[in-house]
Amino acid sequence: MKKIIIGENIVKSFRKLNEEHNVLNGVSVEINKGEFVSLMGPSGSGKSTLMFALSGMDVVNSGRVIINGKDLATASENELSDIRRKTMGFVFQQPTMLKNLNILDNIILPSVRDNQKNKTEIVKKAKSIMKRVGITGLEDRDITEVSGGQLQRAGICRALMNNPEIIFGDEPTGSLNSQSSQEMMDLFSEINNNCTAVMLVTHDAKVAARTERILFMRDGEIISECRLPKFEAKDMDDRVEEVMVKMREIGI
Amino acid sequence: MYNRIIRNDMVKSKAVTLTTMIFIAAAAMLVSLAAILAVNLSSALDTMMTKAKTPHFMQMHAGELDTERLQTFAKENSNVEEFQVVEFLNLEGSEITLGENTLAASVQDNGFSTQNKQFDYLLDLDGNIINAADGELYVPISYKQDNLAEVGDRAVIAGKEFIVAGFLRDSQMNSTLSASKRFLVSEGDYKELRSLGYIEYLIEFRLKDPSKIGAFETAYSTKGLNANGPTVTYSLFKMMNGISDGMMIGVILLVSGLVVAISFMCIRFTLLAKMEEDYREIGVMKAIGLRVSDIKKIYIAKYAVIATVGSILGFILSLFLKEKMLENIRLYMGQSDQSANAILLGIIGIILIFFSILIFVNNVLRGFRKISASEAIRFGTSQDRNRKAKRLTLSRNKLWNTNIFLGMKDVLSRKRLYITMLLVLVIASFIIMVPQNLYNTISSKSFIQYMGIGNYDLRIQTTGIDVKDVPKMVDALKLDSDVSSYAVLTTKSFQVKMDDGSEENLKVELGDHSIFPIAYTEGRAPEADNEIALSKINADELGKQVGDILTLVKDGEERSFTMIGIYSDITNGGKTAKAVFTDDDEATVIWTIIPVSLSDHSHVEQVVNEYTDAFPFAKVSDIEEFVTQTLGSIISAVEMGSYASIAIALVITILITSLFMNMLLAKDKYQVAVMKAFGFTNTDIQLQYITRSVFVSIIGIVIGTLLANTIGEKLAGLVISSFGASTFSFTVDPLDSYLFSPLMMIGATLFATVFTTWRTGKINISENIKE
Repeated sequence: MKKIIIGENIVKSFRKLNEEHNVLNGVSVEINKGEFVSLMGPSGSGKSTLMFALSGMDVVNSGRVIINGKDLATASENELSDIRRKTMGFVFQQPTMLKNLNILDNIILPSVRDNQKNKTEIVKKAKSIMKRVGITGLEDRDITEVSGGQLQRAGICRALMNNPEIIFGDEPTGSLNSQSSQEMMDLFSEINNNCTAVMLVTHDAKVAARTERILFMRDGEIISECRLPKFEAKDMDDRVEEVMVKMREIGI
Repeated sequence: MYNRIIRNDMVKSKAVTLTTMIFIAAAAMLVSLAAILAVNLSSALDTMMTKAKTPHFMQMHAGELDTERLQTFAKENSNVEEFQVVEFLNLEGSEITLGENTLAASVQDNGFSTQNKQFDYLLDLDGNIINAADGELYVPISYKQDNLAEVGDRAVIAGKEFIVAGFLRDSQMNSTLSASKRFLVSEGDYKELRSLGYIEYLIEFRLKDPSKIGAFETAYSTKGLNANGPTVTYSLFKMMNGISDGMMIGVILLVSGLVVAISFMCIRFTLLAKMEEDYREIGVMKAIGLRVSDIKKIYIAKYAVIATVGSILGFILSLFLKEKMLENIRLYMGQSDQSANAILLGIIGIILIFFSILIFVNNVLRGFRKISASEAIRFGTSQDRNRKAKRLTLSRNKLWNTNIFLGMKDVLSRKRLYITMLLVLVIASFIIMVPQNLYNTISSKSFIQYMGIGNYDLRIQTTGIDVKDVPKMVDALKLDSDVSSYAVLTTKSFQVKMDDGSEENLKVELGDHSIFPIAYTEGRAPEADNEIALSKINADELGKQVGDILTLVKDGEERSFTMIGIYSDITNGGKTAKAVFTDDDEATVIWTIIPVSLSDHSHVEQVVNEYTDAFPFAKVSDIEEFVTQTLGSIISAVEMGSYASIAIALVITILITSLFMNMLLAKDKYQVAVMKAFGFTNTDIQLQYITRSVFVSIIGIVIGTLLANTIGEKLAGLVISSFGASTFSFTVDPLDSYLFSPLMMIGATLFATVFTTWRTGKINISENIKE
């Protein structure tokens, strides 16, 4: 199985009140092509920090992050940008949209940076993805004129525009109600079915239960891992139960 | 609690706070300086003119003097307090050598006098009345300024030796704009010199009631007393003495106005940005029931602190600078006795600025009322978006690079924010363009048309006394192969009949005005015998318009003329007239001017020398030299001013652009983080910021240029018109105005933006993407 991302012994610390605090204590992790992974753990366990480190958005203090064979420590700022744009997509908890662009413009933003000329193609593609996630008709809306759920879907559209190998989601359902949340997870499953790897950071067992590999974190370390078979709707309750048992077992 | 909030806020935004403070300090300094200088100038001027007992009315006269009639007039006119006739002994500049320097090239009428007995005293630099001993020479102060003489220098006047004993202040002829300069010698020495030059008379009066000067002037001219020369009154002396420093004060006031405007823009921008940044907090404060006035207090307090520090700083600076700026006033006019009041007025000016800042801040903060608590808490941002910018979408953009498009779109959708930066850039380009255009205009050769001078190479001037010799000169000019054309323009004095029946003197230049045409602002040059043209100042004073009838009186005979044109004239006090009729009475000739153009301009110097030697009684000058000496100090002052303006404007541009970009970057951290997360490089983002600032600066430059060529031209015209020129238009150097200046501005903007935004690389995605 092709490894998209390899993290080795990642240490990340922040200064707080003149003291170094380790948020990640030598974490090693590998993400394979087409995997559906989730990171679980209590607040402050380092889930988001690990995700930012693995995606190259944060520079690590020590250890290595290798994306598609490229060691990020040797990559220039521009190469890092290129990797982010071409290999990955991101969905955040809060809809991270540019305020003065409409929905369609926000979605096509990462694509038009490289591809000025084929704008018609890009717009066509964006519209088809929007249709797929169910937000057709919102193209010209301002980001303040749609609901939170719709905005998150738009975020997913944007993440998909450059055919990424992996999509990162940092609590993508965190600000949504349970109905929207479930629809969002259906979308991630669908994306994953098309061979795109997905890595979600969550503290919601229902979200983690939709994924196939769950990494449990505490105090900056991965303390346990749990694998589940491919998701089927009828197994949902059992999967949630399994995740809960595991969480109780390791005490998070 | 306020203290802590204010202190934290200032520490957090050091650059912004400092810049705002600098602008406030600069504004305070300039206003205080202008006030201090104005009070000192007017006080020093009054002191000097009081000590010198400047005449209220002075008539220059060349030719026979009818002392008896003058005395009778002085006795009979009830308004005359004192009366005297002073001799002014004209000597050629070439006869005057001061140290190593000769005044041969001087276009001034240099003359010698003795100290007066009753009034019109010549003062030393301590303001005392000078008593020259034999062998002592006192030199006009402007020659000290030009470094032509020093105390102790040996001076040779028409072969007689003197020692420069000091410099003198002449309340009549101090200014370089006054065409004559008086040297002071002892009675004994004067007697020896008297036969070596020709004498002009200064007929001087002090009045009991100086406010009735108009009636006195009319009375003098109605009596037909000696009047072969310019007439000058007390107020004109005062104006000429004060004009150069007055103009400096005017310029300082103008600049301070602009700096105040820029400080306001700075404050508006930072406040708007801060309000947007604090939107949620303000909403929360409103939601928990704080009053708008409570919230406003925090912001107003912060600016009160900045304004107080800035004002005090500005005041201290103005105290340091005032010494340097007062030098010229002190040199020409002496000490003022109002220094304390001057400083008081400076403080009042600063206090006005201080309060206007607080009122302004209060006004900008009115926007608080519009903040909806619920909206602020829910969205954390104001919801009103610009409708027009909405139509500008990335998906439909085919023309621009994505980053350039995003930069422009940002400007268009946040107009309220960028308009502040735009205004500053408009002001900056205005500050560059107006002085530059003014300098180009007054230094261009065509500018002499505003002086009432046609386009020729040299100018021969003789006084009324030498009128008999003019034909000899004309004969010489006729035969000279270097001369391509010439005209003889004779200025004579006539009485003009006013509507109320009274009569006034009018100097009319007679001759062929078509050979060296000048610019007419209205109408045209006189061609027929019954046509006359008036200079702007004369037309205004006589209340005549083109088409009106003017009645001249000569030897009791009345002749009517049609007023045919108005022209600009800044020579001879600006009061002239032009006509073509012939009048053979040589006695009334005041002066004759013979403009000459040469077939080869490069021969000017040689021809000037030839004619100076051949006709020693005439003043022959290279016209360029004439312009430089008359206007030279003004031209070089404007040139200096235009360079200083460019420097100031560029500094302002760089400061403000860095400030704005810095603040934008701080505000936009989140947006930048988002774009970086989605693969935009630092260079991409920098390009967006560069687009924003260059886009704004291009609009600013275009508007600034338009304003400079309209309002700026009017402003400059106002200054020029005080010298007697009427309608005025800029001579624009297109290369300077439309290429170099805009390039400099854009360069400055670019530099500041690049310099400020390189730190986009420092914006960490993970820290900033979580709102």
